[in-house]
Amino acid sequence: MELSYKNIEPLIISGKNIFSKWLGYFGLGIGVLLLLFSMQMFINIQQLLKEKSPRKSGYDFISISKNITNENMGKDNSFTNEDLNKLKTYPAIEGLSPLISNQFRVRATAGDVIPFSTDLFLESIDKDFIDTVPPSFTWQPGQSVVPIIFSSDFLEMYNVFAPAQGLPQLSAKTISSINIILECSGPNGTLNFKGNIVALSDRINSLLVPKTFMNWSNLHLSGDTATRVSRVYIKTKDANDPQLISFLDQQNYHLNKDKVKFSRVKSILQNIVSALGIFGILVIVMALVLFSFYLQLMIAKSKDNLRLLLTLGYSPRWLTNSVAKTWLPVYLFIIIGALIITQLLHLLFLQFSFVDKEDLSFLLHWSVWLIAILLLALTVFINSGLVKKELNNII
Amino acid sequence: MQINLQEIVPDYIDKKNISGSQVWGKNIIIKKGEHLHIVAPSGTGKTSLIHFIYGLRKDYTGNISYDATDIKKLSTESFSSFRQNKISIIFQDLRLFEDQTTRENIEIKRRLHPFHPPEMIDEMAGRLGIETKLSQQVKTCSYGEKQRIAIIRSLMQPFEFLLLDEPYSHLDEVNRKKAMDLIYEECGKRNAAMIFADLKELDFLKGEKVLTL
Repeated sequence: MELSYKNIEPLIISGKNIFSKWLGYFGLGIGVLLLLFSMQMFINIQQLLKEKSPRKSGYDFISISKNITNENMGKDNSFTNEDLNKLKTYPAIEGLSPLISNQFRVRATAGDVIPFSTDLFLESIDKDFIDTVPPSFTWQPGQSVVPIIFSSDFLEMYNVFAPAQGLPQLSAKTISSINIILECSGPNGTLNFKGNIVALSDRINSLLVPKTFMNWSNLHLSGDTATRVSRVYIKTKDANDPQLISFLDQQNYHLNKDKVKFSRVKSILQNIVSALGIFGILVIVMALVLFSFYLQLMIAKSKDNLRLLLTLGYSPRWLTNSVAKTWLPVYLFIIIGALIITQLLHLLFLQFSFVDKEDLSFLLHWSVWLIAILLLALTVFINSGLVKKELNNII
Repeated sequence: MQINLQEIVPDYIDKKNISGSQVWGKNIIIKKGEHLHIVAPSGTGKTSLIHFIYGLRKDYTGNISYDATDIKKLSTESFSSFRQNKISIIFQDLRLFEDQTTRENIEIKRRLHPFHPPEMIDEMAGRLGIETKLSQQVKTCSYGEKQRIAIIRSLMQPFEFLLLDEPYSHLDEVNRKKAMDLIYEECGKRNAAMIFADLKELDFLKGEKVLTL
């Protein structure tokens, strides 16, 4: 019959310290569950809010304009070069781009398909500040088609009033297939262009055209080369930075934070689940410390028996492996249990939350599985290391 | 395998006081099949010598080697292999698991590297008169019974050397004879050497090679 741990099991005295063992198991279970669950929630939030986030490469992009009050109404409220330089040099502002608007009249019609015409404004901004820039968003003089990036908020507004006006509602996909005729007229004449919506922007509430088109048409249609900037987009690490907000308030600038709020909500949610994850790691560490105390006590109590087994010829390696292996089923049970509960909670999240289920997989993310496997390996490694150390001490 | 003792002297004995010893500071080679009887009064180092040879203590000068291997250089892992296959022992202080039964104590050793089937435990216990003690906890047995349990335990494994440290101190003449017959028989099966340490020369060991410490 093979030599097995069962033969020597009665010689390993667990003593009266059963409470700390079970507390250790419980702590480990809770810690692993918190870590796995928070990881899955972090990924869920990341994936759900990915499309809608106005943040780009970890930055907030916010629009500022000068406050219009009864005192300054009717005056020139555009940004001067001095204003722009002051903004540029402020430490929390990592970049800025003025929105340049058209100096000529623009009238848009949608042809015969949609009997709709309206006066418009166009604006241009550095491409780096736009969240969605397709490769087709370029314009060269002589080109009759002008690519436009349309605010998704405007589309939403259009779809609200369209039925009342007898106009068809439009989806994000169909809007790109509509031919818009842009009738641009200024002191120097009138020019017609075909407008083509190439993308929707969540970040910028405007109708954006390439800078090359704006500069060319302002020069050729209005003859006005002076650019008046009434809106500026700034790029900052944290749009909720109190010092930045106070600085902008002092300059009497109006801050449009609607878009930023969304990213802050996401950021807060992610911070909460990250904190939960960190708490989970702390609980795991504490549980492992508790285990190590339990283990030390157990080996100390069984010291004479273990020493006699070694004297009789039992191999230290076999003893270490056998003692360490006894916890493997417990660790497996704890981690598989935590994975199952995380999976159930994930399914509940899909079931009861407001989210669009197509965005998320029913199964846990692969990284959660990976972390579970790593945790198992880590606990087994730490455990066998501890047993080895303790046994070496008694040899 | 052979065991070589090369000028070993325990650290606690002054080298000036070993002139009369036939073991300390001498070169002794013990080969398979040999029987060596070490005789000495209490406190002269019998148990120390047995423990030195078994590798439990290293507080001596000189060398002890299993074949060409100095045992001071052996790892605990290597020692375990020797103790499973080559060298067995009966401790003076017996070293039994007091809370385990007699059978469990013997089985713990037998399973390590079985030389005999489990039935042999019953047979040997019968021969030494402790068959009724097999299911009893060792702590309920008398010292003489415990000595017999330790003897049976030591015979459960393969070995080339059997170390005996005053194994019969609490046995009467009849039981000593029975135990010695069993040990001779088992050593014979393995052609094993026997190193027997005791207070005085035993009658039934007459004719063996006797060394005084």
